[in-house]
Amino acid sequence: MPFRTKLRPEKRPLIRLDRVSKDYTEGTKTRVVLREASATVAEGEFVAIRGRSGSGKSTLLNLLAGIDLPTAGDVYVKGVCLNRLSPRARTLFRRDHLGFVFQFFNLIATLTVQENVQLPAELPGGPRGEAARRARALLDQVGLLDRAHDFPDRLSGGEQQRVAIARALVQDPKLLLADEPTGNLDDTTGEAVLGLLDRVTRQAGRTLVLVTHSPLVAARADRVLAIEDGRLVTC
Amino acid sequence: MLTRSLLVTGLRDLRRRPLHTGLMILGVALGVAVVVAIDLANGSARQAFARSTEAVVGRATHQVLGGPSGLPEELFGRLRVEGVRKSAPVFEGVAIALDLDRQPLHVLGVDPLAEGPFREHLGGGTFGTPGFGRFYTDAQSVLIGAGMARRYGLAPGDALRVQVQDRLSSLTVLGLIESADVEEQRSLDGLALMDVGAAQRLFRGEGRLTRIDLILDGDEAARVERLLPPGARLAPASEQAGSVAQLTAAFSLNLTALSLLALLVGVFLIYNTVMFGVVQRRVVFGTLRLLGVTGGQVFALILVEAAAAAAAGVLLGLGLGWALGQGAVRLVTRTINDLYFVLSVREAPLTAAAALKGAALGIGAGLLAALAPALEASRVEPIVALRPSTFEGKTRRLLPWVSLSGLLLALLGTCVLLGLPRSLVMSFAGLFLIVLGLAFVTPVATLVLMVGAGPLAAVIAGTLGRLAARTVTRAVSRTGVAIAALMIAVSVTIGVSLMIESFRSTVENWLDLSLRADLIVAAPTVGGTRAAPALSPDVPARLAAVPGVAGLETFRSVKVASPQGEVQLAVTDPRRERSAGLYRFAEGSPAETWRRMREGAVVVSEPFAYRHEVPAHGGSVTLLTDRGPHTFPVAGIFYDYATERGLVLVAREVYERYWDDRAISSVGVYLAPGSNVDEVADALRKALAGSALRVTSNRSLRAQALGVFDRTFAVTQALRLLAVVVAFIGVWSALMALQVERTRELATLQALGLTGCQLWGLTFLETGFMGMTAGLLSLPTGFLLASILVNVINVRSFGWTMRLHADPLVFAQAFALSVAAALLASVYPLLRLQRMPLATALRQE
Repeated sequence: MPFRTKLRPEKRPLIRLDRVSKDYTEGTKTRVVLREASATVAEGEFVAIRGRSGSGKSTLLNLLAGIDLPTAGDVYVKGVCLNRLSPRARTLFRRDHLGFVFQFFNLIATLTVQENVQLPAELPGGPRGEAARRARALLDQVGLLDRAHDFPDRLSGGEQQRVAIARALVQDPKLLLADEPTGNLDDTTGEAVLGLLDRVTRQAGRTLVLVTHSPLVAARADRVLAIEDGRLVTC
Repeated sequence: MLTRSLLVTGLRDLRRRPLHTGLMILGVALGVAVVVAIDLANGSARQAFARSTEAVVGRATHQVLGGPSGLPEELFGRLRVEGVRKSAPVFEGVAIALDLDRQPLHVLGVDPLAEGPFREHLGGGTFGTPGFGRFYTDAQSVLIGAGMARRYGLAPGDALRVQVQDRLSSLTVLGLIESADVEEQRSLDGLALMDVGAAQRLFRGEGRLTRIDLILDGDEAARVERLLPPGARLAPASEQAGSVAQLTAAFSLNLTALSLLALLVGVFLIYNTVMFGVVQRRVVFGTLRLLGVTGGQVFALILVEAAAAAAAGVLLGLGLGWALGQGAVRLVTRTINDLYFVLSVREAPLTAAAALKGAALGIGAGLLAALAPALEASRVEPIVALRPSTFEGKTRRLLPWVSLSGLLLALLGTCVLLGLPRSLVMSFAGLFLIVLGLAFVTPVATLVLMVGAGPLAAVIAGTLGRLAARTVTRAVSRTGVAIAALMIAVSVTIGVSLMIESFRSTVENWLDLSLRADLIVAAPTVGGTRAAPALSPDVPARLAAVPGVAGLETFRSVKVASPQGEVQLAVTDPRRERSAGLYRFAEGSPAETWRRMREGAVVVSEPFAYRHEVPAHGGSVTLLTDRGPHTFPVAGIFYDYATERGLVLVAREVYERYWDDRAISSVGVYLAPGSNVDEVADALRKALAGSALRVTSNRSLRAQALGVFDRTFAVTQALRLLAVVVAFIGVWSALMALQVERTRELATLQALGLTGCQLWGLTFLETGFMGMTAGLLSLPTGFLLASILVNVINVRSFGWTMRLHADPLVFAQAFALSVAAALLASVYPLLRLQRMPLATALRQE
C-alpha cells in the first residue's frame, strides 16, 4: 500500500505524484530509487525533500521537471501529466511553467550575467527587448544589476546562485525546483540565498520544491518530505 | 621513470575512452596510409623499372649507343675483330600485344651465341634445348616469361598478335622462360626475346642495332671509345636507369609532398585528440601531481599514451596504406606510361622500407602532436591543475606567441622559397613552412573573426547567436586547431584545383596554337612521349593522293644523345610557321625564327631551357649527331606542355643534314577549303587499309591529350580528397570533444527550455562559424598555395610556366565545402548528445 502525503485543504494542488516508481538498470542489476511514491504539493507551498546521498532526491526533482521519466506512475504539474507528453512538449512545458535552480549554478560561462538570465525568456521567440528588460528587473531584484555585464567566473558562488535564481524566474513560473541550491555555498551565503528564494517564491505566491540534506534548510519549509528506501514519507 | 601503476593508469585510460583513442588511432592511421600508399606506388614503379632495366641490360657494364637510326651492324663485327670479346648486339623495340590486353611488349632482339656472359637468366637453359633452332630460322619466334604466359593462358606454339609500328603482325611462342626466383620472374613480365635478325626485320631496322652491350674492365673503355665512329658513343650501363629515375623524380616528389600534407592534417587531428584527453583528465593529473608524481612523469605518461595509440594507428595505417597503394599504383603507373616510359606493374607489395618509413612517420607525428599537450600538463602546478579551464587560459596567453611563431615560420618559408631558386625539395619545404605558419595564425584569426561574428549573430539569433560565437572562441585551443586543419585541407583543395585549372586552360590554349593540322596520321603509341614508331615511307604519297588533302606536314620524334643526357628531338616541316603565341622568347618574328631554323638553328621548349639553363637569347645546344657532336644555335624558346623532359625542335632539312634517319613518325594533314573532315578521314583510312595507322581528327587528338592530362592529375585529386577526409575527421573529433565537454552546459540549456530544433540550430551556428572561419581563411591561403604551385613548384618540377587562372567558382565551392564539412561533422556528436538522458547529461562533469 503506497504512502500518500497529505494535501493542504485550503490550496489547490499544483503537483501530483501518482504511484510513481523509478528504477535504474545497471548491468544485470536493477536499482529501485522510488517505489510507488504519491504526493501532492499545493500552490504557493514550500516543500523540502530530504534524504541521504543517493536516496533519489534529485531523481524526484528531475521527474517533477520532466527531465526524467518515471518507470511507472504519473507526474502531474498544473494538471498536465508530464510523462505522457512528447519530449518537445515536455521541453516547452518546462520552459513556460517551471524554473530550475541547480546545486552548481550551471550558468553558461560564455554568456554575461544578463545574457544568462535573458536567455530562457528569448527561447520562446518573443521580443528581445522585453526579455532584456525582464532580465534587468530580476537582476535588480537579486541585487546584481551592477554585475549585469560580467561573466559568471567573475562572480562569487553566492552571486552565481543569485543569478541562477533570477534566470529561473525570468519566465515568471508558478513552480520553482531547486536542487540543493545552498549545497555549494558557505552557511552565511547559503542563508542569504535561501532568504532570496523564500522571498521570490513563497512570498510571491510561487511554489518551491527544494531538495536538501540540511535540516536547517528543511526547517524553513512548510512541509518536509523524505525519501527512505525509495519511499516518499512526510517527516 | 614511469612506474608500472602510472603506465597502467595511462593505458587503462586509453581503453576507457574508446572514442578518443579511436580518433587518435584514426588520425595516425589515415596519415600513415596516405604516405605509405604513395610510397608503395612510387616505389613499385621504380622497382618495376629497375627490374625491367636489369632484365634487358643484364651484366653489361657499358653500352654502345647510336643516334635515332641506331648503329650500323658492322660495328659489332668490328669490335669483335678488335678483340672486344664480351660484346652482344641488341635490337630493341616496343610492340603492342593485342592479345595481352594491348599491353606494351618490350621486344629484345639478341644473338644467343653472344648472350652467355650477359643475360644468362633470360635463356634459362632454353638456348641449348632441342628445337631451339627455330629461334634462328623462324622470324616470328619469341620466348616469353612463364608467368606472363600462365596469366594469359599461352603455351609454346601459340600465336601472339602484335602491332609493330604501323603494321599488324603475328609472333609465335617458341618457349617459356622459367625462373625460380620471383623477382627474376617479375622482370620477365612484358618482355619478349627474339633473334636479333628477326627483331630487325620486325621493326624494319635491317642492318642496324639499337645498341651493343659490353662487359669491359679497366682501361678497355678508353680503347673501345677510340674504335667508335662519329655518332656512336660509349655509355655506362647504369646511365639508362639513372636518367629514368631522374625523369620521374619530380613527379614522385610532388606526390610525396601532397601525401605529407595529408599527414600534416593528421597531426592536427592527433593534437586535438591528445589535447582533449589532457583537458578532460586535468583532475586526474592534478591528483597525481598532488600525490607526488613529477611533471616529467606526467609528460612521459602522455607521450607513452600517444605513442601507444600511434603504434596502433601505424598498424592500421600500414594495412590501409597497402590497400590504397594498390589503387594508387595503378594511377601512378598509368601516368608514368602516359608520360615517361612503358612499365608493367600489377601490384604494390608492402616493403619493409615503406613499413618502417610509415611507422617512423606515424609514431613521430603522434609524439610531435602530443608534445604541446604533454608540456602543458607537465608544467601546471598541482593545485592549478585541479581548477577547470586552466589549459584554455594558458593557451589563450600563448596565442600571441603562437601567432608570432606562425608569422616567422611563414617568413622563413618565403625566404627558403625565394632563396633557393632551383631546389624542388627546398621549395616544398618552403611551401610547408608557409602553410604551417598560416595554420599557427589561425587561432588568433578565429578570435578576431568571432569578435565580428558575435554581434552579427546576436542580431540574427539573439543570445543564442552570441553564445555560438563565444563557444568557438572559448575553446580556441581545440576549435582553433580543428579550424586550422580544415583550413589547410580546404586551402589544398583551392590550391590544387586552381593549379589544375590553370594548367588545363594553359594546355588547352597551347593545344589550340600547336595543333594546327586538321587530321593527324600516326601509328598508335603506348606512351605519350617515347620515340614514336616509324611510318612506312610510302605513307605521305598515299595520303597526298586522297581528294580533299591540301597539304601535308611530316613529323619525326626521336631521342638523341647530348652532353646533358638524352634529348627529345622533334623534327618538323619547315614549310609551316608556328604561331607567335607559342614562343616565349624568339629572335625576331616567327617568320624570322623559322628562317633561322632552316639555316641550322633550333628552338627549344621551355622545360628544356629551364633544365639546361638555356638563356633567352644567344643560347646554344650541343647534340650528338651521326656526324659527331654539333652545336646548334637556339633561335627561340617555345611553350610546350607535351613533355617535362624538354624538347628540341629542328627543321627536317637540318635534321637530314646531320642524321641519317629519314623516317617519319606522323603526318599532319591540312584539308582543302570546303572539305569535310569526316569524309576525308574516311578516305584516308581507306587509303591506308591494311596498316595499323590511325587517322585522328584535331578535335579527338585534343580530347586525347586532355584525357592524358586528366589522368595525370587523378592521383592529385585523390590525395586532395583524402586531405579533406582527414580534416573532416579532425573537425569531427574536435566537435565531439567540445560536445562531451559541454554536455552539462547543453543539458542545462535544454532543462531551461531549449527545444531540440533550437539545439540543432545552436550547434549548426557554432559549427557553421567554424566552417566559415576555416573557409574564409582558406581563400587567401589557397590562392597563395596555388600561386606557389603554379609559379614556383611547377616551374621547378617541370619547367612549365602558366597563367594562374583564379576561377571564383573554385573559391565559392571551397567555402561551401568547408561549411558543409563542419556542419556535417556536428551531426553525430549532436545525435549522441540527444540520445543521452537529460538527467544523466546534467550530472556530467
